[in-house]
Amino acid sequence: MSINPFDIKSALLAKHAQHVVLIHFPIALFLGAVAFDYLAQCKKNRTLVEAVYFNLLLAAISTVPVVATGLAAWQWALEGQKLKGILLMHLILGCVSSALIWLVFWIHWRVRRHPGQSLPKYRLPIEALAVLIVGLTGHLGGFLSGVNGPG
Amino acid sequence: MMKGRRVWIAGLAAAMIAMVLLSAGSPNGAANTQQAAPATVEVKIDNFSFGPATVTVAVGTTVTWINRDDIPHTVVSTDDPKAFKSKVLDTDEKFSYTFAKPGTYPYFCSVHPKMTGTVVVK
Repeated sequence: MSINPFDIKSALLAKHAQHVVLIHFPIALFLGAVAFDYLAQCKKNRTLVEAVYFNLLLAAISTVPVVATGLAAWQWALEGQKLKGILLMHLILGCVSSALIWLVFWIHWRVRRHPGQSLPKYRLPIEALAVLIVGLTGHLGGFLSGVNGPG
Repeated sequence: MMKGRRVWIAGLAAAMIAMVLLSAGSPNGAANTQQAAPATVEVKIDNFSFGPATVTVAVGTTVTWINRDDIPHTVVSTDDPKAFKSKVLDTDEKFSYTFAKPGTYPYFCSVHPKMTGTVVVK
């Protein structure tokens, strides 16, 4: 049975499909934000800090539907059964990734409210850790979906 | 002459007793009939596919799916209501279902819906 790539209805209504599509938005936005933030730190560039803020805002917002669709896929596809192994690790790391993205956004948001303040340097290792966790979560997700595997 | 006959009768009696004892020691006694083992068919899950994708079995056959892949899979009947549904099978875990009624039973992996298979029961 082959899948028609132009069958939009089937693609949108598939009980598992939304998560694997939406997940790319927070990953790309967050990785871009961190790259810009490190660059902004090196170049002392305020314009880049602005770009970082909006990237983080969109990344944080986009984690909401991603987590929601991930949990929905768990309920729909697996009927909420107890997870273990890679699936459980993916779920835990996904939640941690989402929390870290919101934490990084919150750090930037707090400083932005007080124009005189500069961004704390401790954000940089947090961002690096978040990139690591996001990457690991994405790798596991790719492995589960077959993108990173032989399928 | 008489003594020889007694020995012969005693030997025959001993042989009969031995036969009775031996038959009593066997699992099903004299009526030892071997029951046909229930038919089982194995479907291997590997490399994001069910192999063989279609199996044709007789009524009463037990189909066992075994996950030889590195990642978790499920075996879920496509029909509604679902005839069978496994839990998430990790590597080397198995799921068995006995097909009691004839028919065609399509199924899929709910983690990877493009993985499909069919059991035809005749």
